[in-house]
Amino acid sequence: MHYQGESWGYYMPTSSMPSDTMERVVKLASESAVVIFSLSSCCMCHAVKRLFCGMGVNPTVYELDQDLRGKEMERALMRLLGNSQAVPVVFIGGKLIGSMDRVMASHINGTLVPLLKEAGALWL
Amino acid sequence: MANHNIPYAVLHGMNVPTSFIHQEGSSFDFGELEEAIVLQGVKIRNDDEAKAPLFTTGRPAATLEMFPSWPMRFHQTPRVGSSKSGGESTDSGSAVNTNSSKTENQLEPESPISTKKTTPLDQQQGMASDISRTGTSIAKLPQEKRRGSTSEKQLDAKTLRRLAQNREAARKSRLRKKAYVQQLESSRIKLTQLEQDLQRARSQGFFLGGCAAAVGNISTGAAIFDMEYSRWLEDDQRHMSELRTGLNAHLSDSDLRIIVDSYISHYDELFRLKVAAVKADVFHLLTGMWATPAERCFLWMGGFRPSELIKMLISQLDPLTEQQVMGIYSLQHSSQQAEEALTQGLEQLHQSLIDTVAGGPVIDGMQQMAVALGKLANLEGFVRQADNLRQQTLHQLSRILTVRQAARCFLMIGEYYGRLRALSSLWASRPRESMMGDDHSCQTTTDLQMVQPSQNHFSNF
Repeated sequence: MHYQGESWGYYMPTSSMPSDTMERVVKLASESAVVIFSLSSCCMCHAVKRLFCGMGVNPTVYELDQDLRGKEMERALMRLLGNSQAVPVVFIGGKLIGSMDRVMASHINGTLVPLLKEAGALWL
Repeated sequence: MANHNIPYAVLHGMNVPTSFIHQEGSSFDFGELEEAIVLQGVKIRNDDEAKAPLFTTGRPAATLEMFPSWPMRFHQTPRVGSSKSGGESTDSGSAVNTNSSKTENQLEPESPISTKKTTPLDQQQGMASDISRTGTSIAKLPQEKRRGSTSEKQLDAKTLRRLAQNREAARKSRLRKKAYVQQLESSRIKLTQLEQDLQRARSQGFFLGGCAAAVGNISTGAAIFDMEYSRWLEDDQRHMSELRTGLNAHLSDSDLRIIVDSYISHYDELFRLKVAAVKADVFHLLTGMWATPAERCFLWMGGFRPSELIKMLISQLDPLTEQQVMGIYSLQHSSQQAEEALTQGLEQLHQSLIDTVAGGPVIDGMQQMAVALGKLANLEGFVRQADNLRQQTLHQLSRILTVRQAARCFLMIGEYYGRLRALSSLWASRPRESMMGDDHSCQTTTDLQMVQPSQNHFSNF
């Protein structure tokens, strides 16, 4: 698992345009095979991270509370998901999978592993 | 709540004897109301004459505010001639009902009025006894009418007879009231005993839906869930016999599919109930108080552990195709991974909660509590995800298996938990060292008989 984000003083002009933020979310989501947006204090986020690590997957994690634009991204994700819980949210191969319940449902019904293999996150 | 049983007369402030206000449910006694009205009329006629203390306290009788600061209750009757019915009691009415003054005193433990107003009432008592004596001898009336006594000449024969009848009715109603109160007392004692029995049984793990809220410390949400869960268990029995009959009758696949699908919906219903229960009282689900002790033993995050269930089923689902075997093992594997992930997440929550509650030098008490509360709320999310996992597992099982296999599978699941529940009952009523010998065998036999008749599968267990 590797952490990314703008937490080392990189300054961006603050933009309140939601489309910009959403674009950033999408851009980040497609940069890696498995992307998790998370909050470092969130225990459910910890659970989803453990799930992927337990499967031998190496997800890219963005801790939004440690990101300069984290708050905006949280709001954008809330809008995207249509609920008040922005994190954890998982993208595989650039495609939105969803929150913890969707991730677990797809693991149980056997669709998660093929998706991971397709995205190159899992080998056999 | 205050007004729904108060007779019309009382509500509208008429000066009425309260002895006719019966216990709830019994009919209105017009006789006594009539008496009061008559006496009112008599009083009005006499306004100009010398005071007739029998009928008035010297104040307008328009309002009935017997015990103005006390909610209207039916046990309260003003005391005849007693010092307790001071102030605004309905003296005129009650004064006539002298023969019952003693019983009235006994039935009124709650009267708040204790002031002593003796003068007008002493007079009333005197007049009252007069009336009761004269009331029965109607023949004397005309003579009494001609007497100088101010109160008696107002009463004609008809009135006196009616008053006598009213007194009799009042006496009867007082006896009825007494009987009723005694009945209430004995019911109360019985109720307390029942509650104690329930509490004892409940602590031994018997499942009692419906009365849960009255016994012990259980929240409303928990009580509601317990009730709904007990109904769900009854439905479960029904579904299981449908499955059994369906399998034995060798129904067509499409017919059996209907039964299987309805069993899956039955479980979906349980998960819906649990969603509401999680929001209402997550601890009730987490501690497993809704389940029997043996089930509680294997509780994982507020319910069964999916991988354990699959392990239980695997050996009994033969024969399976190779693809099915792979599917089942894959299901077991993925549910194990999901369970592990959720468990680790919950562990992190526990640790975080410990840190918050233990506190540090920086955090103040109230803020600490607020933070802890926020973290506790996350428990709901975990139980929800665990239930989600359970539901997905059951659905996936039905996808992997054929209709007949699924029917057998769900029957096995139902019977398995039924046996766990039966085990809990047996365990709770097992003979203990301290109990005397011969009772043991009888008790155990009775308990075995209590177990559902469908438990003929015990031999396989």
